[in-house]
Amino acid sequence: MGKYLRRWWGPLVIFVGGLLLVIGTRYAAPLYSQPVMQVIASRVTQTSKTQDEFNNRDHQYTQQLTGRMLNGSRRGHSVQVKNSYTTSGAFDQKYRVGDQVFISMTKQTILIKGLKRDTVLVTLLWLAVFLLVLLLHRAGLMALLSVALNLVVFFLAIELNMARRSDGFLWLFGGLALVFALLTLWLILGPTKQMVITFVATISGTALSLGLSALVLALTQHKGIYYETMAYVTQVAPQPLFLAATLLGSLGAVMDESTDIVATLFELKTDKPSISAHELFQAGRQVGTTIMGPLINVLLLIFIAETFPIALLLLKNGNSWGYTFSMTMSLGMAQSLISGIGIVLAIPVVSFLASRLLVTKAGAVE
Amino acid sequence: MSTIMALSLVLLAVMILVGGRKGAMAFLSIWLNFGCLFLAIVLVSLHFSPIMVTLILGILMLALTIFVGQDDLRTTQTAFFAAVLVLLILLALIVPIEHWAAVQGFGMEDSDELEGMSLLVGINFVQISIATAVLSTLGAIAEAAMAIAAGLSELIEQHPTISRRALFKSGLHVGQQIIGTTFNTLFFGFFGGLLGLFIWFADLNYTWGELLNNKVLDAEIILVLLALISVILTVPMTTWVMAQRLQISRKKQS
Repeated sequence: MGKYLRRWWGPLVIFVGGLLLVIGTRYAAPLYSQPVMQVIASRVTQTSKTQDEFNNRDHQYTQQLTGRMLNGSRRGHSVQVKNSYTTSGAFDQKYRVGDQVFISMTKQTILIKGLKRDTVLVTLLWLAVFLLVLLLHRAGLMALLSVALNLVVFFLAIELNMARRSDGFLWLFGGLALVFALLTLWLILGPTKQMVITFVATISGTALSLGLSALVLALTQHKGIYYETMAYVTQVAPQPLFLAATLLGSLGAVMDESTDIVATLFELKTDKPSISAHELFQAGRQVGTTIMGPLINVLLLIFIAETFPIALLLLKNGNSWGYTFSMTMSLGMAQSLISGIGIVLAIPVVSFLASRLLVTKAGAVE
Repeated sequence: MSTIMALSLVLLAVMILVGGRKGAMAFLSIWLNFGCLFLAIVLVSLHFSPIMVTLILGILMLALTIFVGQDDLRTTQTAFFAAVLVLLILLALIVPIEHWAAVQGFGMEDSDELEGMSLLVGINFVQISIATAVLSTLGAIAEAAMAIAAGLSELIEQHPTISRRALFKSGLHVGQQIIGTTFNTLFFGFFGGLLGLFIWFADLNYTWGELLNNKVLDAEIILVLLALISVILTVPMTTWVMAQRLQISRKKQS
């Protein structure tokens, strides 16, 4: 009974705690300083058909919402507010009864600011954590911990960057990549020889790839890379921002691969202590070759799939395929290719390091 | 020569240098995957149903990632079946989540990008957000399924009489080994690209409450969480498929 309890208390605590948290967000409106209302009635007051210059047809609606205030001095009062939305909903949305909505109130007007999304976010987080701990136990928790710590470091780096007004931006985020790699590998592998090899391989693979890519970028004079299409550019110039984003984006994948290769080579060495450095190197190449394709695909799909809405919009606004690609995907594609080069180059580096270090270690023992 | 072309050639060269024929095949699978993704966007712009397009091309992309350049059939077939099953479960989860979260399309921070464009294009962007979520996760599902299936294949080779229970235990064990690094691949993959957005948020002093409910940020966080959930689900699913196949092949033998 005791063992049974010990095995299940973790998932159980997370299940109940998460559920309470999810329910809690529905009553969290008083914690927000912005006014929040809950929609209690909705009525469509106006409908119209639209057609734009590219013959796209759509419908536009206006809805009259009645809401009950959930916070502030007018808590419990009811308010009336208009919302207009379209069938496509690219920049707007329909509100339904039960939705909690941020509004801004002045003496004359009430405007809708946006949906309160904390409940759905916490629900999804709860589901992820619960499944993780239920299925993968301690390893799951460690994975979660490493992501959480990385997030904290990421925020600290951004704060630091703001304090320095983005001075030395690339150095800061290059340094951040080092900290990330060290922290993550230490959490996953512990302070072992395996970790040192993986760390060195990750850093050199990534550095080689960035160096090589910078050379290619310079030689081709960045032709066909439209930095001006980069989203969310404020105080940092697009080009360093692109490099930093690429560096961070590929880091996880290179670590993933190096960890796999080093782990396999350690296993091989334990299984067959007499194995030669050359055999180990070839085995590392073998493992790396098998995983590099799927890994590059992971990043490619992440980088490119996210451009779906904006690419679609460009196509529907009468732009050609080529123009749409240049304006939305050229950066993501370049990012995928540079990451890919890093992922591939890390294979010989990690195989070489691991094979040499493993074999000399055995020699010293004998 | 354009930069993308030059970078592609460099990638092809190093892939062949390191992986030989397999490397060339992997290079091919990357571009085929990109082609599928682009085709998906074009088809949706021609008013094909985004969900159907995603489902069909998604399965094709899983096949491309898993089968091209790999030759161990036990591993690839198991990984493929498991990945397709996870894709279906994921879709059943994504559809209600994206409707509920309403993070489709664009947010205030995208306004600059949208200047001068018609937004009334008659395509439901909630469905586009569903398609985006599924497509961005496919690579991670395929990769995890391959890793688990490969580990289990090797185990079955070494211990052909392994019991179902032991197989499940090993499947979870392999899952525990890969989950840490896989999470980080996804985390960095998604958050690396968000660097600009985070600097924007810090620049304009968004409050925690605003961040938590921000449409653009929430859309990203939801993508990351869905990807994590799908990778977690891939672990037992791949093990289960492997166990089923093992059982079937043993029945045939006896």
